[in-house]
Amino acid sequence: MKCLTIAWKDFMIRFKDRRGFMLMILMPLILTFILGSALGGVMGEDATVFPKTNLGIVWKDDDPLARQFIRDVLQSRDLKPYIHIKMADSREALEEHIREGSIDAAIVFPNGWSRDLNNGKLKGLTILADPGKSLQSDILQTLSQTFMDRAETTAVSTKTVLSVAVDSGPEQMAGLSQEVADELKQAAQQQWHAVEEKSVGQKPVSGMQYYAAAMAAMFLLFNMMNGAKSFIHERETQTLARLFSTPTEKISILIGKFLGTLYFAVAQFLIFMLATRFLFGVNWGDNALQTLSVGAAFAIAVSGLSMFIASVIHTEKTADVVGGIGVQILALLGGSMVPLTLFPDMLRQIAHIAPNTWALTSLVDIMGGTAWSALALPIGVLAGIGAAAVTIGTWRLQAR
Amino acid sequence: MLQVIELKKSFGGKPVVKGVSFSVDKGEAFGLLGPNGAGKSTTISMICGLLKIDGGDVRVNGLSIKKDPMAVKRKIGIVPQDIALYPTMTAKENLVFWGKMYGLKGREAKAKADRVLADVGLSDRANDKIETFSGGMKRRINIGAALMHDPELLIMDEPTVGIDPQSRNHILETVKRLNEQGMTVIYTSHYMEEVEFLCERIAIIDHGEVIALGTKTELCNRLAGGTVIQLKVDPIKERFIQRLKTMEAVANVKIVEEDRIEVFATRADAALSQIVALSLEHRVQLLSLNVKEPNLEALFLQLTGRSLRD
Repeated sequence: MKCLTIAWKDFMIRFKDRRGFMLMILMPLILTFILGSALGGVMGEDATVFPKTNLGIVWKDDDPLARQFIRDVLQSRDLKPYIHIKMADSREALEEHIREGSIDAAIVFPNGWSRDLNNGKLKGLTILADPGKSLQSDILQTLSQTFMDRAETTAVSTKTVLSVAVDSGPEQMAGLSQEVADELKQAAQQQWHAVEEKSVGQKPVSGMQYYAAAMAAMFLLFNMMNGAKSFIHERETQTLARLFSTPTEKISILIGKFLGTLYFAVAQFLIFMLATRFLFGVNWGDNALQTLSVGAAFAIAVSGLSMFIASVIHTEKTADVVGGIGVQILALLGGSMVPLTLFPDMLRQIAHIAPNTWALTSLVDIMGGTAWSALALPIGVLAGIGAAAVTIGTWRLQAR
Repeated sequence: MLQVIELKKSFGGKPVVKGVSFSVDKGEAFGLLGPNGAGKSTTISMICGLLKIDGGDVRVNGLSIKKDPMAVKRKIGIVPQDIALYPTMTAKENLVFWGKMYGLKGREAKAKADRVLADVGLSDRANDKIETFSGGMKRRINIGAALMHDPELLIMDEPTVGIDPQSRNHILETVKRLNEQGMTVIYTSHYMEEVEFLCERIAIIDHGEVIALGTKTELCNRLAGGTVIQLKVDPIKERFIQRLKTMEAVANVKIVEEDRIEVFATRADAALSQIVALSLEHRVQLLSLNVKEPNLEALFLQLTGRSLRD
């Protein structure tokens, strides 16, 4: 397989290039350290599953549903270590506590909250929070809404089933109603786990983690230009012509050039991943296979794009200029400099034209914990970009 | 061994090679001589399968480059005009890589690289990067890369451009030795003396056409006024020049500088005595007199009116 010989040659040339090594390996490590350390606070550094919260509660009438919410949700095994509850008499008292800073957020239960349960529509809870503690407020909102939805569903379902059961005969009613109620209760309790799984990235991503992913996405982009430049350089120094004079098929040479860039991009990602893991303690997520899959798909995308660029650019100088500007724009657009979450909605949508956006968001999702199904689209998009670019690039280069 | 049949190539509608034909026997050293831009490299590129042929064909041992390019490429070793090597790789790494491109396997390629390095006299620099080499040493590795697969036909496209005399001599001696060992060689150059030293038969190319083809002796015999007598005189008189031109043993006379004349003589001995007598008659002082034997440069000049290095 002569394409593998060409690929290995290209890989070794780039790997041994001291300047290239500095740019592709050391520079992203240094930037990760600087940006991750400097901007860590922005990302909610040191947050845990739920930020430690002093929660004020107004619960006047010992409502059973409120009791259940406090017991099964707010003081559940998972959340109890993070939520310290402080009872208060009135909403005004809670607001005063928030102003003083003695509590971070508060919940006011309506009087007779569970009374409306039979109607299938609960009154909403009032959630108060320090303006600077929006994360706690959001989580409490989600927890309460989810609990209310489940309680309403359970109540309505039980009522409906029981009415059906009454029609089926008194002798079966007691057993059936008990069975259905148990199952719905179980379903309602499982709901909490569903909420936990639904919230993407419930594991908070630290600044160091975010910028490790961001720098990986940004610096892998340089392979687009380096791969293209390698091709143009071979053309200018006549080594490409010499390759074509050997008994090697043109397609094999072109695939070899693509694979050379791919090898380096994959190696760069692996080295960077390991270096950030061991130097800065960056946790790339619980599923290394997911991270590697996204990394590989992104490497395919940039390597494919390198072939496309080589087919449209003719000089190394042009490649340098276009590459320098192009990588910076893509890095900015893709969230490698400023986190994507700070972008306006429209810009966030536009950012999806950049392959690094897909890579970065996926890597961050993996760090927070995500399912394979959520990664199918980004991996597919990245591999698709790579496949399309390498096909068009190779076709154009072969036709020359 | 090699047949080049009515080869044609145009770029942007402009014909660059216009029906070049020649053949090279097995074991022969064949020279392609011509000035820059004559069409030598384009012809070579078509023979090697690097450029698409517009018309005609190239056959190596009966195999057509158009029909069976891979089989033809396996038989050819090409030494390009440029240093087509990877500067950040060592000499040996380069040779091994190019060997593999011709189908050699790992250990075989390494062993062959050692032998080639010895052949080009650079064994002691095997593990040095090409970028640290002098121009001459790079040229030697450039040739070595073409020898890795023991080609039947070695094609060298101006392999001595821009190098020191020592490296040039080394390269010429290496090529001579390879040819003596049975390798067929095509050598293109605009350095007449290199082609004369190496090649038995020579084709002179100009403006994309073969304008002369044969052995050196055959070509020089075609020269009318093959011997060049260079004179330095004082003063140059118009009547003296006119009388020189009318002499029986003189084919042509050319004033090259204010006081220098070149006389193209068909018979050198007769011309010399007549020139001396004529200078006395016209009271022209002969400051120096130099006789140059017939050569390809003179033939090219006669055929094209231009120097090979123009």
